[in-house]
Amino acid sequence: MVKLDASKLSLRELNTSLKKACVLGEEIHIANPGARHNMAVCILSKCRITFDGSVGYYCASMLDGPDVLVNGNAGWGFAEHLYSGTVRLTQNASLAVAASIKGGEVVIEGDAGARAGIGIKGGLLAIGGNAGYLTGFIAQKGRIIICGNVGDAVGDSMYESLIYVGGKVASVGTDSRVTDVTADETKWLGETTERLKLKTRKGTSWKKVESMKTLYHFDKLKLKDRHVV
Amino acid sequence: MCGIAGIFYKTAHRQKAPVGEQLVRMMAALRHRGEDSTGYTISGESVGAGSVLARLCAPNAENGAEFSAAMKAIQKLGGKVGTKKQIGQHLRLTFAFKKDLRAVADALLAIPGLEIHSLGQTSEIIKDEGDAVDVDKKHHISAFRGTHGLGHNRLATESQVDVRHSHPFWAYPFPDVTTVHNGQLTNYHKLKRIFEERDYRFQTHNDSELIAVYLADKLAHGAELIEALQDSIRDFDGTFTYLVSTSRGIGYAKDKFAAKPLVVMERDDVVALASEEVALRQVFPEEIQRSEPQQSLCHVWLN
Repeated sequence: MVKLDASKLSLRELNTSLKKACVLGEEIHIANPGARHNMAVCILSKCRITFDGSVGYYCASMLDGPDVLVNGNAGWGFAEHLYSGTVRLTQNASLAVAASIKGGEVVIEGDAGARAGIGIKGGLLAIGGNAGYLTGFIAQKGRIIICGNVGDAVGDSMYESLIYVGGKVASVGTDSRVTDVTADETKWLGETTERLKLKTRKGTSWKKVESMKTLYHFDKLKLKDRHVV
Repeated sequence: MCGIAGIFYKTAHRQKAPVGEQLVRMMAALRHRGEDSTGYTISGESVGAGSVLARLCAPNAENGAEFSAAMKAIQKLGGKVGTKKQIGQHLRLTFAFKKDLRAVADALLAIPGLEIHSLGQTSEIIKDEGDAVDVDKKHHISAFRGTHGLGHNRLATESQVDVRHSHPFWAYPFPDVTTVHNGQLTNYHKLKRIFEERDYRFQTHNDSELIAVYLADKLAHGAELIEALQDSIRDFDGTFTYLVSTSRGIGYAKDKFAAKPLVVMERDDVVALASEEVALRQVFPEEIQRSEPQQSLCHVWLN
C-alpha cells in the first residue's frame, strides 16, 4: 500500500509518484485531494487507486486498466476517455462525466450533471441518481444506465448507444425515442445494478432511449433530391 | 474562460466577516481561468443615508487633473466631498449627496479620461490588471470586511485588456448593483442598442456590462431580483453563468445550455459560489456538501 498526501505534493509530483506505483501494480491511497484538477490521468496499468475526498476536473481520465474509487464529488470530465478498468464515485459528478469512453465501467453513486456520457464509443456508464441535460449526446456505442430521472434532450443525435432510465425522462433529444425494454434487457439491468451496488426502486419500470437513425448520414434528403454542388 | 466567485454571510455580526481575504483566496485558486485582470465587489456597512461611496479611475492620469475635475463636478451639483483615498490611478471617494445619482454619474462620465467603477452606499468595486495576488498587493483587498462580495478573474475574449473592460461591472446609474460574468452574450449589440435608445449609457464595449444595466433596469421598474434573473435567462442569448450583488445580497443565473460552470455550497451561516470547487476549498478546507446548478436556473440570497 502506497500512501500519498496530495496537499503536500505539486500536481506533477503527485502524478509522477502515482505512475511509478501503478507500474508496480500497487494499491495507492491518496489523502487530501482538495478538489484539484488533473489527478491520476493517463495510467495504463492495472492497479487500485483510492481518493479520500473530492476531486477536480479531468480526474481519472485517459485510463487503461486501473480501478479507481473516489470518496467524494468530482468536477468536469471525470473518467473521460476510459479504455478499460473501473472508475467509481461515491457522490455527485459535474458535467461531461465519462465523455468519450471506449470501454470499462464508470459508476456514479450520486447525480451527474449535464452531458453525461457525451460521445461514448463503448463501455458502461451507470448513474445511481439523476442525470442532467443532454445525457448521451452524440453517443456512438456503449450503454448508459440512469437509475433516477434524466433531464431534457436525452440521447440527442445518438448513433448506436442505448440509454436505460429507471425514473422519468424529461424530454428526448433530436432523433431519439423512448421504447420498451426487452425481457433480456430487464434481466441484464437487474443483474448489473445489483453487481454495481446501485439502489433501484422496487418494481422499477425501465425505459430505453434509442436512436431513430434518421440523422445517421447527416443528410435528410432522399437520394433523388441530392445534387452535386 | 474567466473565473467567478461570490460569498454571502447570513448570520448576525456578518459585517465583520473577512469577505475580502476569502475572495482573494478563491480568485487565486481560479488563476488558471484567467489572469488578465482581477476585480472584486465588496459589500458591507453603509456609508449612511444621504452619502455616496464612489470608486473612480483615471487610467492615463498624469497629474490627477481628472480627480480634481470630478470633485469639482460633484460640488457643482451640490455634493459635499468627505473622505478620499488615492491608490495610483484609483480614487475612493465619499460625498454627501441626496439627489438622483444619475446626475452625478453623467457629470463624471463627461470628464475625459475618467471612469466610474462604482457608485453606491454599501458596496464598492475594486479592479485592476493582473492576477488576484497582484491586485491584493496593490489595493489591500484582504483588509476589506463585509457582508457579501463577488470576485472575477478575466481571460479576455470580447474586448480590450485594460481596467475599464474588467469585471465587476456597475449598473449605470443604479447604486450598489454589480455583476461578474463568465461567458459570451451573442445578442449584446442588439440589446445594447435598445438600452441606448432609452438613454442608458455604457462605459465599455464589454458584453458583460449589459447584464448589470439590464438587471438594474428591471429592479428600477419594480421587479424582484429573482424575477429579473429569470427574465434574463429568456432574454440573453449565448453562454453565461453570472453573479449579481445588490445592497441586499447576491444571486446567480445560468444559461439554457449549462455551458459555464458553477458550484454552490450553502450552510446555515454562509453561502459560497465559485466556478470550481477548488476555489471553495481554499476557504472551506474540509470536505463540503456542494451542488451544481444546471441549465436555465437562478437563485438569490437576500437579507
